Amino acid sequence: MENIKSNFDKIMEKFNDSLTHSAPKKLNFEYLNDSYNDSGTLPKKRRHDNSQLSCDNVSNASISSIPSSPWETRRIKADLIEAKSRISKLKIEIERQHKLRAEVETLYESKVSELKKQCEFSSNKVQDVEKHLQVVRKREQGAKQELLRTQRELTQQKHHYEEELHKLQRAKLEIEDHSRQVQNSMENELSEYRRHTDKLEMELELVTDEMANLKSLLNEYKAHTSSYEALKIEHEKEQQELEVANSRIKELEYQIASYEDWKEITKKSQTRLLSIPDMDKELERLRTNNKNLQELLGNKLLLEEQVHDLKKRLAREEGGRNEAVALQVKLSHMEQELKEWIKVAQDHCLPNMLVSPMALRSRIEQLLQNDIIMISEKRNTQSETKSVKSELLDYKQKCEIYVKNIEELNVALKKHKNFKDRIQRKLFFVSKERDCYKQLLENFEKDLTFSTANNAADGAAGDVQLRTRLDMLEKTLVGYKDMCSNLEKELTNAKQLPVADQTIENVVSTEVYEHTKKELDTMRLENERLRRRKEELELELEHRCLKGDFNVGKFKVVHFAQNPAAEAYENSNNLIEKLQAEIERLKRRNKKLEEDNEVTQARLNETTNMTINIKEMNQLRAELDATNSKMKKMKECYKSASMEFREVCYLLFGYRIDRLGLNTNYKLSSMYAESPDDYLNFRLNESNHALDMLETPYSVTLKPLIESQLVGNKSLPAFLSALTLELFQRSTVTMS
Amino acid sequence: MSTAQSTKNCITLRGSAQIIVEYLKYGINSILFQRGIYPPETFENTQQYGITILMSKDKKIEEFLANVLQQTEEWLAKNMIEKISMVITNAHTKEVLECWDFKMQAELGDGETTDSTKLTSSKELKRIQSEIRDVMRQISATVSYLPLLDCICTFDVMLYTLQNCEIPEKWDETGAVFIQNAQAVQLRSFSTGLHKVDTVVNYKMAS
Repeated sequence: MENIKSNFDKIMEKFNDSLTHSAPKKLNFEYLNDSYNDSGTLPKKRRHDNSQLSCDNVSNASISSIPSSPWETRRIKADLIEAKSRISKLKIEIERQHKLRAEVETLYESKVSELKKQCEFSSNKVQDVEKHLQVVRKREQGAKQELLRTQRELTQQKHHYEEELHKLQRAKLEIEDHSRQVQNSMENELSEYRRHTDKLEMELELVTDEMANLKSLLNEYKAHTSSYEALKIEHEKEQQELEVANSRIKELEYQIASYEDWKEITKKSQTRLLSIPDMDKELERLRTNNKNLQELLGNKLLLEEQVHDLKKRLAREEGGRNEAVALQVKLSHMEQELKEWIKVAQDHCLPNMLVSPMALRSRIEQLLQNDIIMISEKRNTQSETKSVKSELLDYKQKCEIYVKNIEELNVALKKHKNFKDRIQRKLFFVSKERDCYKQLLENFEKDLTFSTANNAADGAAGDVQLRTRLDMLEKTLVGYKDMCSNLEKELTNAKQLPVADQTIENVVSTEVYEHTKKELDTMRLENERLRRRKEELELELEHRCLKGDFNVGKFKVVHFAQNPAAEAYENSNNLIEKLQAEIERLKRRNKKLEEDNEVTQARLNETTNMTINIKEMNQLRAELDATNSKMKKMKECYKSASMEFREVCYLLFGYRIDRLGLNTNYKLSSMYAESPDDYLNFRLNESNHALDMLETPYSVTLKPLIESQLVGNKSLPAFLSALTLELFQRSTVTMS
Repeated sequence: MSTAQSTKNCITLRGSAQIIVEYLKYGINSILFQRGIYPPETFENTQQYGITILMSKDKKIEEFLANVLQQTEEWLAKNMIEKISMVITNAHTKEVLECWDFKMQAELGDGETTDSTKLTSSKELKRIQSEIRDVMRQISATVSYLPLLDCICTFDVMLYTLQNCEIPEKWDETGAVFIQNAQAVQLRSFSTGLHKVDTVVNYKMAS
């Protein structure tokens, strides 16, 4: 706004100047152009400027050239008036502008005050904010300090961790070294074991070779043993033969000895033979003696038998006597009985007849015969009664039949009687009917005659006649009615009649009826049967229908050719074929395997041996480890023991014995030696187990002692003890 | 609108055949699963008739059923089929173990026309489907009494057609199957108004 104002002021000043000076002057419209560039009045101003310019030019021209004519003055005046009007216009414009300016200024001031207020408010705010900022700064400083502290801590921790890292790295390196060492050692061990296993394998091979050798040897030995056994058997056989021969020889010897005995015996027997005749004589004598004795013996036996017989007889006699007594008793008893019998016979026999058993028998026989006759008679009568009874029964049956017949006949008779009654009644009715018809006929005839006579008679008599006729007719009517009722009755009877007739007929044709009845029954049964059959068939039909039975003639069954079933069948067939082929193959293979069974068996054995070998190897390895560790322990133990032993020897005998190298050399250094170089050297002579003393620089100095003890006494212990004593004395001397 | 109104609840012979073929598709798949003819992992769940039915994923079975059912539909629309048998046999011995018969009986429908090709039925589809659902449930329930199929089994679908029926390509005439010592159980029936379908299972009695 100020800018606008200043610009405007400047313009105004310049304009005023141009007016007041009225000197030809070029106006500067820079500001105007600058400030009113975007205003709507610009084209007008331009025009105005142009006009101004042209006016200026005119004025310039008028000033430069003196007005010469009134036209020109007039023109100038007009111009002037024009300019003046323009000035007034501009002034008005300026005033308007001033007003605007004042308004703008007031607006501006109000705005300034507002801004000032705002400024104050903002300054207050700024102060607050500054205070806050200070607080914040303080906090920031605190935070910074903390940050520093934490950074320091961090660095410390970092250092700490780095150190730790270093340590760990070092540890790691160490571990790596260690592991490498371990690995190396492991590798060494492994190579050792490998070597060991190689060695073992070599040994194994050797052993197997040896085994093979041993086997061959064994076979040889076996052959030897078999030959040896054969030899043995032969030897045994020979021995047996020898024994047999020996026994034979002994037998022969025995025989020889027995022969000599026999010779003696023969001699003796010859002597005995010479004494035979005497002996014969004696023999005969003895024989006779013997015979006598035998005879005596026979006699004695005979006597004994006789005695025995007599004894038996005696016993029998005694028994007989006893029996006789008993029989006598019995006899008396029997006689009594006989008497009784005789009495009985006398009672029964005829008085004139002699009493005897025969008579009694005949009597009894007679009685018996009578008995028999009576029995036969009785039987006859019994049979007769039976026959009579049967006849009676027959008659009874017949009688019953007759009674039945009679009853039937009676029934028939009754029926016939009924029938007869009915027929009679019928007859009666028929005759009545006939009478009736006859009467009717007569009436009609009378009527006819009456009518013919009527024509001749006069009218008065006609009425009477008509009346009588009417009565007559009524009578006949009643008669008809009666007849009607009779006929009706007859009809009812007749209705009943056929049934009766039928029954009669049935009675007559009972057989036919029975037959028909039977037929009916059979038909009925058949009907039942057929019905049942039909029902069964229906059920079956239904069942079949359910089951899927169908009328083959009416329908046909179709199915899709490529159905799963067909596929499955094919697959299964293929599978079966395949399996059969495989079976064949396997069979062949089996055969082959059976043929190569031995080979495979051997192979199998090999494989098992291999596995066993590996197992063995592992076992051996484990054993090796165990033994190695044991050995180490033992070594340590021995070492400590040997050290101890050496120490003890040194303390007891005053010499330290060191073994030098592998040459069985021993170095002796005394406890009392003056320098470590003073030592003796010995060597074990293995041939005669003796120690040879070797020359050392120190031994050279001990010549007299060697000569006195070793050469003279030939004793190493003595020499050593002497040396010890000497050295001891020397040391004590020096000490003292 | 009027034409739509008039055809709203109308089932034609072809439509009836379609319904039956659909039932056969689900029924056969269900039997295949229930009877364990194929391993259960080759089946997947499907919702149909308001129940879950397991359908085979095996491409071969799907193809076979599609072929068979297409022909079945054609013949059913002409009323040339007496019955459809699904036969389960032992794959090795070819012995028939089970036979599921779907017997077709032609019905007159509404009986408005005598022309057999233009018969219609106004039975509601919902009712038909509910009837089918009952049969399907019964099929699932048969597992409880049917003998266990403890061998490798396979199946075939046989159509009992009229004698004058022409045999198309890839189809063969075969003989009827018989089961030794058979036991038959009739399941529920359903009807489309034009076809009545009886489902009967014949199975070999366990000796």
